[in-house]
Amino acid sequence: MSLLDILLVIIRVLFAAFVPLCFIAVCVWMERRGAGFFQDRAGPNRANIFGFRAAGLVQNLADGAKLFFKEDVISDHIEHKFYFVLAPLIIFFTAIVSFAVVPFADTLVLNGKSYIMQGIPLDLGILWFFALAGFSVYGIILAGWSSTNKYGVLGSLRSTAQVISYEIPMGLAVVSLLVVYGTINLNEMAQFQGQLLFGFIPMWGIVLQPIGFVIFLIAAFAETNRTPFDLAEGESEIVAGFHVEYSAMKFAIFFMGEYVALFVSSAIIITLYFGGYQIPFLATDTLISYAKPVAFLLMVALPVIMYFFAGWIRKNNVSHYPRKNDPRVYEANIYIKCFWGLVIVLEIILFAILLFKSGGAAAHIFVVLLQVCTFLLKVTMMIFVYIWVRWTLPRFRYDQLQKLGWQVLLPLALLNIFITSAFVVALS
Amino acid sequence: MSAKVKTMERKGASLAEKIYFIEIFRGMATTFGHFWRNLLDNSKLYVRHYPEVEPEIPVRWRGRHRLTAHEDGTVKCVACFMCQTNCPAGCISIEAGERQDDRAEKMPVKFKIDLLECIYCGYCVEACPLDAIRMDTGIYSVTDYNRESFVLGIDDLLRTPGAFSEEEYKKGGA
Amino acid sequence: MAEMIKLFVNGSEVEVEAGKNLIDAIGAIGIEIPHLCYHPALGADGNCRMCLVGLEEGGPPLVPACKTQAAPGMKVLLNAEHIKKIQHDVLEFQLINHPIDCPVCDQAGECSLQDYYMEYDGQKSRMSEAPVSKSKKLDFGCGVIHDQERCVLCGRCVRFCRQITKTGELGIVNRTDDARVTIFPGRPLDNRYAVNVVDLCPVGAMTSADFRFKQRVWFLKKARGICHGCSKGCNITIDHNREKDQDDLIYRFRPLLNEEINGYFICDEGRLSYKQENENRLTEARRGKTAISLDDAVTTALKEMAKAEKIVLLISPDSSLEQMAAVKSLAEATGAFLSGFSDGYIKKGDGDDYLIQDDKAANRAGLALLAIDSSRENFATALEDAQMLINFNSNLSLSYDSAELEKLIKDKYIIAVTSHDSDFCKMANLAIPAASFTEYRGMIISCDNILQSFDKAIDKNSPPVEISEIAALLGGSLKNSEDQYNALKEVIVSTESFNPDTIPTAGLKLN
Repeated sequence: MSLLDILLVIIRVLFAAFVPLCFIAVCVWMERRGAGFFQDRAGPNRANIFGFRAAGLVQNLADGAKLFFKEDVISDHIEHKFYFVLAPLIIFFTAIVSFAVVPFADTLVLNGKSYIMQGIPLDLGILWFFALAGFSVYGIILAGWSSTNKYGVLGSLRSTAQVISYEIPMGLAVVSLLVVYGTINLNEMAQFQGQLLFGFIPMWGIVLQPIGFVIFLIAAFAETNRTPFDLAEGESEIVAGFHVEYSAMKFAIFFMGEYVALFVSSAIIITLYFGGYQIPFLATDTLISYAKPVAFLLMVALPVIMYFFAGWIRKNNVSHYPRKNDPRVYEANIYIKCFWGLVIVLEIILFAILLFKSGGAAAHIFVVLLQVCTFLLKVTMMIFVYIWVRWTLPRFRYDQLQKLGWQVLLPLALLNIFITSAFVVALS
Repeated sequence: MSAKVKTMERKGASLAEKIYFIEIFRGMATTFGHFWRNLLDNSKLYVRHYPEVEPEIPVRWRGRHRLTAHEDGTVKCVACFMCQTNCPAGCISIEAGERQDDRAEKMPVKFKIDLLECIYCGYCVEACPLDAIRMDTGIYSVTDYNRESFVLGIDDLLRTPGAFSEEEYKKGGA
Repeated sequence: MAEMIKLFVNGSEVEVEAGKNLIDAIGAIGIEIPHLCYHPALGADGNCRMCLVGLEEGGPPLVPACKTQAAPGMKVLLNAEHIKKIQHDVLEFQLINHPIDCPVCDQAGECSLQDYYMEYDGQKSRMSEAPVSKSKKLDFGCGVIHDQERCVLCGRCVRFCRQITKTGELGIVNRTDDARVTIFPGRPLDNRYAVNVVDLCPVGAMTSADFRFKQRVWFLKKARGICHGCSKGCNITIDHNREKDQDDLIYRFRPLLNEEINGYFICDEGRLSYKQENENRLTEARRGKTAISLDDAVTTALKEMAKAEKIVLLISPDSSLEQMAAVKSLAEATGAFLSGFSDGYIKKGDGDDYLIQDDKAANRAGLALLAIDSSRENFATALEDAQMLINFNSNLSLSYDSAELEKLIKDKYIIAVTSHDSDFCKMANLAIPAASFTEYRGMIISCDNILQSFDKAIDKNSPPVEISEIAALLGGSLKNSEDQYNALKEVIVSTESFNPDTIPTAGLKLN
């Protein structure tokens, strides 16, 4: 094993482990400010460090600090304290580990050796995700049961029944997808989606499998216990569901686990149906050969984007009431300077790409970075969809939920398999 | 007297609505419209920047209570207990005594309002035959660190001035 | 039963008692005729004209109901338009000079004029002249304060002083709208029943200096009780209220009608005896000067009782029959000497021929009934040999002065089971709080040998324990009220069969 091999392993593992964690903050921030904007209010925007509010991100730090320093209560009536503590860990662990098989860039070829860009080089692909997603429900069951609380038990039972019901249409939706892709390896799926259909449409899963996508999306919402399927914690009827007895850091771990699951779920949807890390019309090979023009285009585009972004910051980061020497204007100026600094750094890096030999290692690394960025951008957008849905749709009633799962999604998924198989057989 | 009956159209019967999907997307388009508008220009948010921008208190707003006084500073209240009788929260407790000035024969010796129990319904103001208790101080935020300070005595209640002129108050329909 | 006659009210036939006037006769069957000046105890005066009713056939068309005897076949009209108009107009006259004092008037809530206005008048005043102004606050003495402006000149108070107390301090002077009730110069009210005029007054003209501004009457809860001020056993209404964050307190006693005993009135002394129920109460058990719990106190008492060879029990003559029976059973169980000694309760010459009695003990007849010895000699001799005295709420300071008392209880272990924190209680080695007479259910026998029962009226925040319960805790054999009633059944002899639950409100006359 060369030094490069070890370095790349470390980078991959760190990426797979820390990016979901970092995205917790992003998710929470997006959820809160997004909720605010959806509902015509501001969302958290007061917490600050020396007057810097970072658009509300500092609120996350404050909340984190609060949860961290809160008294960690385990009520006396809880008999199985071990399982009680174990439950949030299961949820958090399964959520993080299930991201390990998701490729965040195409295979990197350096010195003739190829490196798979995912946390754990497994061939299990989508099956790994299914296994761990199914396993995470154990955390919810354990939490609800060990809480010795009727609301907890009700919440966890709801959650269990819901996950079981929706895993079937989800699996069936993926079956038809497998028929199309002919593989369970997520990286191969992503590569498959780099092709073009009829020469001008990106061959993404959503184009090939629109019904499957809808089924998978709905099931994914249910799997992550997000609105409109968050009956497990229905505040109005069962207080907080399975985590009613949890407080402080144990609650925080549940909370973080939920957002990691959200991130992973988005990543899987992206990989299965939205081309994963692929940039539309620019497959990996094309990108490597056209690295320099792309870098040049980016060099031109970045300052332009930054110009408008700066204008947006300047317009919105002000106090909307009469205030002498508005500190938010000062704050906005600092942000703009920082971002311009970032743009300059990126420009230098892009300029360096232009200097290197085309098709060489630098081009390969550049393409990988570009694909990572694409991947994260797509995931962020998918997370936004999750948030968007949450603040639009009301919660299902429990019987409606089961009806939808068994009477609508399941037959639809089966039908989809038949149609897909027929098409695939006819075309081959 | 017959009640006015307005028949509302019952939604959700057409096929397009039964499929859900179209309606879901319409709903999402609506919410996204709000999001996008607010994202581009957050001055359009329907919010008041509260601690800095204080709400404008209308005349009929039921704020913290006060006891009114005659021009010479003597309390108008004659301790008739109408407010205490009427108070649904039971937050008023009065102790009556002989009055020395010639305005009436009775006056409150103690007049306590427990703001923690008060529900700000304004029945005390309506019950008062002498316009002696009012909720026109314009104080909408009552906060403190201990429970004792929420029990207002007769001096506290007399000290607080009204936030409006007499004409404004009268025009408010009180 | 009195003879019944049939007559017609508003066209429908009713059966009423004969020999009464229309107000009482028809009022007894629940049909009210408004009246201000008439009072059953004072007779008809006919000056207020509120009770004018129509007679359909025979006799004049319009008669004052208070002056008209109910007669068979009479056709009384109450709801005809012209009667309503008369009531409305009379009331308007009454109210011409009446100040709108209701918010500050103590009578508001139990004021006839207020009630009648709401029922029969209900219009705004048409007076444009300024009302005649009179004195607002006259001290008539004896704790009666008079407001001449509110007075409707019904004369009840004047008649009370002339007919009942026969002192005649009050009179109506001047004429027409200048007429007013007043006292003779320098001769205030001076009789021991004076505050009854406050109850008699249909409006708020007479107010009690004691109750003035203390409470609005609609806050007060009413309970029936029996005055323990003397052995007469007058029936009273206990007006009490639990104010916010406070204890259940009594605000006044008012007379309650009992034809057999006190009629419509009570004496002023009894009326003010409510104060004792609120003040100076013993609330916690004490050993020496340290407060202890009731359980500890009982344990200590039992320990000390085991040590003492001879015990003397002293029971208050105010106690109920149940309590006496319970303490007697304790005496029998422990072999102690039980005394009802209470000579100090008798104030010679204090009584009169109306309600007030010499004997200030409420239940001395009960002592006799249960054969409890109450002679001074026996008590003194028994106490000399004894090591221990348990005093069940008897006030020894009435019989001995403090030096004598100290000598009497020297070197003895004293347990005071008492409702009030007295000097004796401070001298006691062990003090146990007990319920006072408004706080328990019981029976007493008045000086006229009438057995009366009364219910618990007051519910204190920390309810004190009844004497009979303490006696049971200390070893008495009568553990509950059923035991006590069974014990009492043997001694109570009356014409009717005795049942503690069905003692008539008027009382049970014993043989």
